[in-house]
Amino acid sequence: MSWADLGTIAPVVVAVLVAAAILIVDMILPGRRNAILVTALGGLGVVAVVLLAQAGHSGEAFGGAYSLDNLTVFLDFLFVSIAILTLLFAVDYLESRGLPIAEFAAILIFAVTGAMLIAASTDLLLLFVALELMVLPGYMLVGFARRDPYSTEGAIKYFLLGSFSSAILLFGLAYVWGITGTTRVDGVAAALAKVVAGGPLSPGLAMGLAFMSAGVAFKMAAVPFHYWTPDAYQGSPTPVTAYLSVGPKVGAFAIVLRLFAEALGPLKADWLPIVIVLAAATMTLGNLVAITQDNVKRMLAYSSIAHTGYILVGLAAYAGGQQSGLSAILFYGAAYTFMNMGAFAIVTALQRRPGVSSQISTFAGLGRRDPWLGALMAIFLLSLTGIPPLAGFWAKAYVILAAIQAGGWLTALAVLAMVNAAAAAFYYLRVVTYMYMRDPAGEAEPTSPGMLFRAGLAVTCVATLIFGLFPAIVTAATSAANALHV
Amino acid sequence: MPVLSLIILTPLVGALLIAVLPSNEAHLIRRTALAFALLAWVFSLVLLAAFAFGPAGFQFVEATDWIPTFGIQYKVGVDGLSVLMVVLTTTLTWISILASFKPIQDRVKGYMISFLVLEVGMIGVFVALDLFLFYIFWEIVLVPMYLIIGIWGGANRLYATMKFVLYTLVGSLLMLVAILATAFAYQTGHAGSWVGAFDYQALAAWAAGGHFANDLQILAFLALFLAFAIKVPMFPFHTWLPDAHTEAPTAGSVILAGVLLKLGAYGLIRFAVPLFPFAAHTFAWPIIVLSVVAIVYGAIVSIVQPDLKRLVAYSSVSHMGFVTLGIFTFSAAAYQGAVLQMINHGLITGGLFLLVGVIYERTHDRSIAKMGGIAAVMPIYATVFGFFILASAGLPGLSGFVGEFLVFVGSFGMAPVIAVASIIVMVLAATYLLWMFQRLAFGELSEFFRGLGGHLTDLDRTELITLAPLAFLIVVLGLFPSLVLDLLRAPTQVFLAAVGVAVGG
Repeated sequence: MSWADLGTIAPVVVAVLVAAAILIVDMILPGRRNAILVTALGGLGVVAVVLLAQAGHSGEAFGGAYSLDNLTVFLDFLFVSIAILTLLFAVDYLESRGLPIAEFAAILIFAVTGAMLIAASTDLLLLFVALELMVLPGYMLVGFARRDPYSTEGAIKYFLLGSFSSAILLFGLAYVWGITGTTRVDGVAAALAKVVAGGPLSPGLAMGLAFMSAGVAFKMAAVPFHYWTPDAYQGSPTPVTAYLSVGPKVGAFAIVLRLFAEALGPLKADWLPIVIVLAAATMTLGNLVAITQDNVKRMLAYSSIAHTGYILVGLAAYAGGQQSGLSAILFYGAAYTFMNMGAFAIVTALQRRPGVSSQISTFAGLGRRDPWLGALMAIFLLSLTGIPPLAGFWAKAYVILAAIQAGGWLTALAVLAMVNAAAAAFYYLRVVTYMYMRDPAGEAEPTSPGMLFRAGLAVTCVATLIFGLFPAIVTAATSAANALHV
Repeated sequence: MPVLSLIILTPLVGALLIAVLPSNEAHLIRRTALAFALLAWVFSLVLLAAFAFGPAGFQFVEATDWIPTFGIQYKVGVDGLSVLMVVLTTTLTWISILASFKPIQDRVKGYMISFLVLEVGMIGVFVALDLFLFYIFWEIVLVPMYLIIGIWGGANRLYATMKFVLYTLVGSLLMLVAILATAFAYQTGHAGSWVGAFDYQALAAWAAGGHFANDLQILAFLALFLAFAIKVPMFPFHTWLPDAHTEAPTAGSVILAGVLLKLGAYGLIRFAVPLFPFAAHTFAWPIIVLSVVAIVYGAIVSIVQPDLKRLVAYSSVSHMGFVTLGIFTFSAAAYQGAVLQMINHGLITGGLFLLVGVIYERTHDRSIAKMGGIAAVMPIYATVFGFFILASAGLPGLSGFVGEFLVFVGSFGMAPVIAVASIIVMVLAATYLLWMFQRLAFGELSEFFRGLGGHLTDLDRTELITLAPLAFLIVVLGLFPSLVLDLLRAPTQVFLAAVGVAVGG
């Protein structure tokens, strides 16, 4: 390792230091909430500044295992935003339940460090290690409310299925290594290009592909590998659910970009049908089950499965020959991050006091008793539905456009996605209906979120609007996608 | 002067202004909303006055790049058809807002914001010359109407508003796929350049050259047709309409019938037919048959409706059938008749919903069976109601007649059977309208009304102000339809030329 390497991996280094610093601060000044928050948020701010300094640069470290390019910077920004927002939304919730903030912040930042490392991995082994670094803290976060049996149940389910799927993914990677003789992404791509030219897939490679697909599908919660999602989401403390619905999901798509788009690019034609089937099943089933949910957290969990399906449409479009599918994935990830975290934030705000459920009836009359929260929730839900001119609309539009450009079966997939989007309107607008068109059963507690919380809401709302009104932001996603060697 | 942007922005500024007013200042909020709606109306009249009748093509065009990567622009412009629709929209909007002053007492702020945002969307749809922009305005219309029905509607409003949203969304999302596919076909035909791919004028020129492949035309047309047919609504996609109308507050019904249904017809005229003439010809006959079914079915079902609003709603299905019949007959007379019918239906049905609202305000009931003899206690009301009933039934001399007559003339040349079938419906229309009026206005004062006693006051000043402009326009357009037809001369030629492409080729 050289000093230049250290400069290249600076964001990850700083993030790890921040997480460590939080633990030290907590040791020296136990129970001092503000000191911890300043360290955590300030530290993440420093990471963001480092990223800003790296923007536009490219380079590699550790002999090409770690790549710094536009994709790395784009995704890292997203992950840092996710960490900051999660922290902002979590403080009130954790405090009122007597859960420690320092541990939460440190674990969260370790998880996000893993995600950042995934974004930069151009080596299969590093990719796997980074993935584990992302998901292990995730299990801890799900079980963070130790005394809540649902939280523990969700954590155990998530842990068992998560480690199982990690093993499957690793098994698949081993096959690829065995056949190509390298773990470097570009080397794998080059070797596979020769294999493809030589005729049909060998059984070993086919098995490797199948195992990797299954492993990644688990991580991104694609149907039929989604069973852990609803329980983990519902059992987690709500701010953790907000994080889970975007952090590991975008992380999983970062794996997809590095692994499937880049390393397995030559096998596109072979994994295209897999992705089409996964996308169709994921969005349809996610939506159908979401329609029947009466618990908003669970509804958002299933709807996040549906959104995975829409993002997979972008991947399918890429496999179908449209480079623009990749930038559509990135834009979707960014748009989804902000609008979905915003929606979860409102759920968190309602649950500020312990004991408040996330049943849909909790939302009855929210528009009247708390007009701001109601209006924000309406914006997030309309954006998730895909109503223009909000972020979620453009996310869908870009994905659909890429699919239409790819043509063939993908046009049918685009139509299916749109029919699904119309069905999704039913359950998203149902919440709006409760907020504005129904009266609450009893007197509800007033919700008065703190300053940090408001700041987080402002960020998510502004992002949802800005992405909608100035969707030219997609150029950032495009340049990030172009960084891939595909 | 960017007058179109001005007309779009005026209600938006009004909505933003109201958003910062304190919500307990209901009076101030109402007046602000009315002021901005009137201002938009004045601007639209300026537009009408400045509009040059003769030349074909679009005027007052404004274009700014929005998303250059995909050639998406903020591009607006108007031809004679759009101008008429814009003026209809601005007129009905201020009337609706004024008519809401008394009935809407709860959450006035949200209501007025919704209405002004609704106006932004409606005007935007009529002036957008970029397909993407058009789609965005189209969807913007949806949300405020969903709120207006869902928050300020009747007892069964939640069901009605969800049905309205889901029907519309299914259509519009498939329309989005069609728009993107069309733009992509254009891009492929232009060496991969997105410039102009969403530009209506560029696309129309490309379509006029017969460049869109037939299978693309068929699929894209079907998707657009579904979206627009749901909005019109054509049989068998009409089932959301009676529910939405019945549950919507009075002003909501006025806008729904007066403008929202026109969005669908406008979409057919502006986009579906000229961009995909081959497909339009392929499906012309099935659509004509559906139109005739709608005309007859709407009329027959109207006869048996027990609820005043539901009756007017079903009569809309019948009346809008003439519009789609006129569009797909592909003749000058039928086209002009169809557009005239769009305007007439907006004025007449808008008036009828206002009048139903008047009686509902006083009695909180709409069932025809309970009514009777209202002419004795509310003579002015009965007279005005009678006027609108006659206009709706197509009495010569009033505007309703001219539109339907022109559609007959146009469709007679194509298929006499259809014209004859539609004329018979005139008799049915007279039946359900006059019978309803008879039960409402004449005879003994019903027991229900007698029980209300002093509540049955005649039309007040505000109500007269809302009804007078509609009545005035109905008479003027009935006597001088050329006022509208002159505006439509150039658009008619353009439309027929676009359709002619497929006839010749």
